[in-house]
Amino acid sequence: MAKTKLLGEFVKGLWRENPTFRIVLGLCPTLAVSTSIVNGIGMGVAATFVLVGSNIFVSLVRNIVPEKVRIPCFIVVIATFVTIADLFMKAYAPLLSRSLGMFVPLIVVNCIVLGRAEAFSSKEPPLKSIFDALGMGIGFTWALIVISAIREALGNGTMLGFSLSKTFEPPLFMILAPGALLTIGILIAAINYFTHKRQG
Amino acid sequence: MSQLTKFGLILGVICLTATLVLAVTYEVTKPKIEEPLKKEEQSALKSIMPSADSFSEKTLDEIGYFEALKGKTVVGYCVRVVGSGYSGYIRMIAGVDLNGIIQGVAILEHSETPGLGAKINEIRPGESEPWFLRQFKGKNAGIIAVKRDIDAITGATISSKAVTDAIRKTVDELLSKLKR
Repeated sequence: MAKTKLLGEFVKGLWRENPTFRIVLGLCPTLAVSTSIVNGIGMGVAATFVLVGSNIFVSLVRNIVPEKVRIPCFIVVIATFVTIADLFMKAYAPLLSRSLGMFVPLIVVNCIVLGRAEAFSSKEPPLKSIFDALGMGIGFTWALIVISAIREALGNGTMLGFSLSKTFEPPLFMILAPGALLTIGILIAAINYFTHKRQG
Repeated sequence: MSQLTKFGLILGVICLTATLVLAVTYEVTKPKIEEPLKKEEQSALKSIMPSADSFSEKTLDEIGYFEALKGKTVVGYCVRVVGSGYSGYIRMIAGVDLNGIIQGVAILEHSETPGLGAKINEIRPGESEPWFLRQFKGKNAGIIAVKRDIDAITGATISSKAVTDAIRKTVDELLSKLKR
């Protein structure tokens, strides 16, 4: 019983409550960094780390922190984990950290992280919160990978940095902001269409 | 204890813990972050000034530069240049000989748009140096300009200009100050 419940908390973030495609949260970093697959993976991993860390901590202090000052407390916790992620990325993956630039520190204001703290881990025990965070983090990561794979292939003519075709002149707008909006819009529309169809 | 002090205390304790954790992380990662930057600069120096065998760091009126030495004679200067690009600073280093002719340019750090401005530092498959920066070689740093000497990158005029203009300005300033 307990095991299936934990698994349920994990699985829901992957599809049914996918932060990008279903809840449509955290779109700002999704639009900005999904220009290459490597960026997408890096952003996803960093956000997952922050989600797990802040979810555990918020869940641990949930009975001590009074309702009225919970938001500042959550923000301090999240900002701490984001800064740790940023510093470690700078130290051990400098190239990735450079290509993500400002968007690693900006995980602080990612709605997914504060959203999970507010909606889930401030009410649930730590173990459940970990599974929730992992599900949401991985859900966010695969969404980023899908979006960035489409944009990298169409906008830059490459896949993970490898050139796909020599004759294809990639349309630049796919790498720019319009490409991100189009890709995400079409993906969400397609997912909505197929879920509705399945439900009849 | 009033509610206000209680709230303040809890928030204070959380902030204190956060500060401690961050201070430790910062100290642990600091040498790791700085070490590759130093190394990168050293290897960039060698690639833009192949004729020199040693470099000595100098500053003049806040312009940081290296004297490129071959034996004991100065053969040129490697100048730290910071340009203001499309989405942040572009940190680079430009090597010029004593007449101000560019020997090479290396970009150390930038945050230009991937696929557009980031092409300022793109290396084509099978080549050893960025194609955009290769254009600078042999040009006079004091009068270098986009369009006349340098072909701008398609869709990245701002980044191309930022690199070119910053090199011209900084190198020219340094050389004229050194002559005095």
